[in-house]
This record gives sequence, structure tokens and C-alpha cells, in this order.
Amino acid sequence: MSYNIIRKELRLNRRSFLIWAGVVLLIIAIYLPFFPYMQDPEFAKLLEGYPDTIKDAFNITGSLFQDINLYYAGMVMQYALLLALIYTAMLAGRLISREADLNTAEFLFTRPLTRSRIMASKTALFLLLNLLLWALLYGASLAVGSATAPGDFDPSGQLLVHLAGFLASLAVGGIAFAAAPFINTVQGTTSLGVGLGFGFFIIDALSKLTEKLAFLKYINLYHYAALEDAVAGEPFLAGMAVLLLLFLLGTGLGFRFLNRKEFTG
Amino acid sequence: MSALAVRNLAKYYGQVRGVEDVSFTVNEGEIFGFIGPNGAGKTTTIRTLMGLIRPTRGEILLLGTPLPVSGGELYRQIGYLPAEVNYYPEMTGRELLDYAAGFYSRVDKNWVEQLIERLQFDPTRRIRGYSTGNRKKLGIIQALLHRPRLAVLDEPTSGLDPLIKLEFFHLLQELNSAGMTIFFSTHVLEEIERICHRVGVIKEGRLVQVAPLDELPGRRMKLLTLRLAGGGAPEQLPADWGQPEAVEGKPGFYQLTLQTPANAITAQLSRLDLEYIKITDPSIEELFLAMYGPAQQGVNRDVL
Repeated sequence: MSYNIIRKELRLNRRSFLIWAGVVLLIIAIYLPFFPYMQDPEFAKLLEGYPDTIKDAFNITGSLFQDINLYYAGMVMQYALLLALIYTAMLAGRLISREADLNTAEFLFTRPLTRSRIMASKTALFLLLNLLLWALLYGASLAVGSATAPGDFDPSGQLLVHLAGFLASLAVGGIAFAAAPFINTVQGTTSLGVGLGFGFFIIDALSKLTEKLAFLKYINLYHYAALEDAVAGEPFLAGMAVLLLLFLLGTGLGFRFLNRKEFTG
Repeated sequence: MSALAVRNLAKYYGQVRGVEDVSFTVNEGEIFGFIGPNGAGKTTTIRTLMGLIRPTRGEILLLGTPLPVSGGELYRQIGYLPAEVNYYPEMTGRELLDYAAGFYSRVDKNWVEQLIERLQFDPTRRIRGYSTGNRKKLGIIQALLHRPRLAVLDEPTSGLDPLIKLEFFHLLQELNSAGMTIFFSTHVLEEIERICHRVGVIKEGRLVQVAPLDELPGRRMKLLTLRLAGGGAPEQLPADWGQPEAVEGKPGFYQLTLQTPANAITAQLSRLDLEYIKITDPSIEELFLAMYGPAQQGVNRDVL
């Protein structure tokens, strides 16, 4: 690992980190305090008017609005995770593709470091920023959740929710790391991030829409993160292991592909 | 010991030829010029040396180590300047130099300041605002800041103004005197003549000649453009100069390519009544046409 690279990448990525973290925090800060209004009988009546399939697809169930912990894990976190997945996929992709896009590969890959060491340094930075993002989200959720429903917001259950979210972000980063050596533009990684984020969000919705599409859950990061199970104190450990494995596998493939990549200018 | 040995190097991009059957050695302590027109295969050869692309065939020994290497430590002894200099646009020149220095164990800050001063480089500005020449200066400084044992410089002078170019050549000669081996790629013959000990000539992906500078055919080649007084006929020109070519759009003007020694040319010119005379070095394309055109190809291959 090279601290020189980590320091440089931190400097180059801090602004986008702050912007994305700010947006996700804003989602939490705006969405979570709505919890008391969701318990209004008028709202319950409104929900009854929705078709069941739509409610299933978007995770809108009555119980979700009775418990702030479930509400946060099942509703707020659904959108926070969507943004976090987009950001982390973009981050992982950019860390690699930017060198080809700017033609700085000729500088970086001729330093006295193996490509694996360079990739390891970038992966370390990815882990650091991802960890920081989820720590911030956890801190914000505790602050806003406790203020919204004093005494009801469960720190340990929410810790598991954020751990599952963190692992889902790692998994999508792993996929982006594997793809990045084939993408030579930053715009390409932006498309990749948005595509992966929304792709998994839509797959999640489709897999809940009908029984026939239920099989889609196996290619759904939300399914493996199982945020509602996590908040209930019963984390889907096998799912978490799948997410971790996806990260390790994707990153490993990224190492391999980057080592074989030719930089022709 | 050779600093660099290349044997039968070939690189194909799919069906497209990059370089074919390139073999040469660069001795430790020499300045080796690698000359050829644009697209001849210079950059492909250099990118292969630097591990950026893999050869299709062939063998490379870099500072005695066969490529590819599993670790990057070998490159601690090498300074590399790519033909097109691109860095992180949001960094300042100083930040980039600090970043580059961070990859090496001991970089003498005074030496870096000397390089900055000698090349008249302003490191305080952001890279996105640098002109091509300033980017090139930054590239040169980052390639030399760790005093490498071997400097691989791909078209290092393009974009530099003449005074800085002169200072750069002095710098290279000093570093070479101190023991640095320099692999210098260019398409400007004059630059090769100025500093190189030996030259490798590459054309259409093939190395057509490796020779000490003095033995380079066409080294003394001159391009004459002249007009005889009163628009005189070309028959008045010495017969051993060959057939002159009329300059298009300029009646009475003729052009000749001569390999005659300079003093012989001036002696013959003094006997002519001239209205106009211009003596220039040929462009690399003109030189290559004269030296390595289809008719000469076989002859020059024998020199290898």
C-alpha cells in the first residue's frame, strides 16, 4: 500500500465525498422526522387505497409506520442506500478509470510500485471513505431518530442496519472495481454508478411485485442486506457474507484486470 | 553492461503492426537517440520498455532485469517522460512534484529547486492552466527529480522554447557526464546531432539502422534552395549535384538535396552567380526518403 497515493486520492475525492454525504444526510434529516405524521389515520386510509402489489414493490406496509426503527430501516434507508450505492460505485469506478481518462496512467503506472500495490492503495481509500460515510449516516440517524422519537430509536438494531448497508456499498464497489479497468472515461463510471444503484433498486421492486419475479431477489443487494431483519436484531448473516464475498471477488477481479490492462495512450 | 537490451521486439494491436523485429542495446552511460517520423513505432517501443503494454514477441532487459518484472522496484532507477504529458488538472505543479517525489526514498529538495530554476518553471499554478511547454517542463522535472540511473525521454523537447531547449540539453549533458544513461526519442535530427552518442533509426515499425552518430548516412545532408541570377537555367549547376527540382510557384527557383561536404558545397557555390540561396537541414521525412526510401532499404538494413 502507498500512503502517498491514499493521501493524494483523499485530497482529490474529498469534495465529491462531502457533497454525496451531505445529500444522503439530508435525506435522513428530512425523511426521518416525518415519522410521526405517518401514524396519522388519514395517512393509513390513503395507504389502503394503494394496490397491494405497488405497496409490496415499494416496501409500504402498515407495520412500517408503527415503529420508527422499522420505518427508518425499511423506508428511509431504502433511499439513503440507493444514493450510497450510486456514490460508492462511482467512487470505485473513478478511482481506477480516472487514470485512463486523464492519461495519467503513464505517470502512475511507471512509478516504482506494482499495479497491485496501486490498486490496494485505492481500495484502502475506498474502504476508508465508505466507512466514514456509513459512520456519518449512523451518527445522523441516531441524532435525528432520537430527536423524533425519544427513547424509541434503537442504537444496536440500527448499528446492524448500517453494517448491512455498509456491506451492500462494499459489494457494489467490488462490482465497479471489476468493471473499471474496461472503462476509460469518468463519464462511463458515472453511468456505471447510476446504473448499478437504480438497477438494484428496480430489481428489488420487481422481485417483490409478483411471485413469478421473486427469483430476482437472488441478484438483489437489498435482499442480501435485509435491513428490516437487521433492525429486528436478526441480521441475515448469510446475506451479509454474500455481500462481503461480492466485494472481495469483484476487487480481486479488478486487481487481475488492471494487471493485464494495456495503456496505449 | 548494457542499460537496455531489446531483442526481436514485436508488438501488434490485433492485426495492426506497432513494431516488428526491433533489436538494439543502449550501453550504460551513453545518450542513445531513437529517431523516426511520427507513427514509426517510437512510443510503442518506449511504452513496452516502461511496462505499459506487453510485447507480442521478443525480450527486453532493463538494467539487466528481464521484463516483465513482478515488482515495481526496478522503476525506482528509471525516470520516464511520456510524449504527451498529462497530470491531475486540479493539482498545482508543486503538488505534483511532491507527489512524484513521494514515490522515491530520498529526493534532494535542493536538486528539485535547481531543476525548477534552470527550466524557469512556475510550480505555483494549477496544472489545468499550464501551457504545453510548462507541462513539458513539469514532466522533465518529475522524470529527473530522483536522479535516475536511466532516463527514458519520449519527445522531450516538443513545446519547449529555444532557450529552455538549450538549457535542457546542457542539463542532459551534465547528467550524462555524472553517469546517467539517456534514451532520447525524437523526430528532430538536429537534437540527435546535438547530444547523442549513438542513434537508432526506426521507420514503419522496423529499426532500419543503429550506428554511432558519425556513421549515420545522410548526417551531412543539406537542402539547397537557389535562384540563379536572371533566372538562369539549371544546366549551369555542377553536374555532380544531380538533377535539381523546380520549386512550384516560384519561377527560376530550384531545390537540391546534397550529401557533399559543406566546404565543397560553398566552393562550388562561390563560382555561381546567385540571386537567392537558402541552405537548410532536411526534415526527418525528407531525410528518410533519401536515406531509407524503397531503393535504399536493402542497403541500410545491412548496416545493422
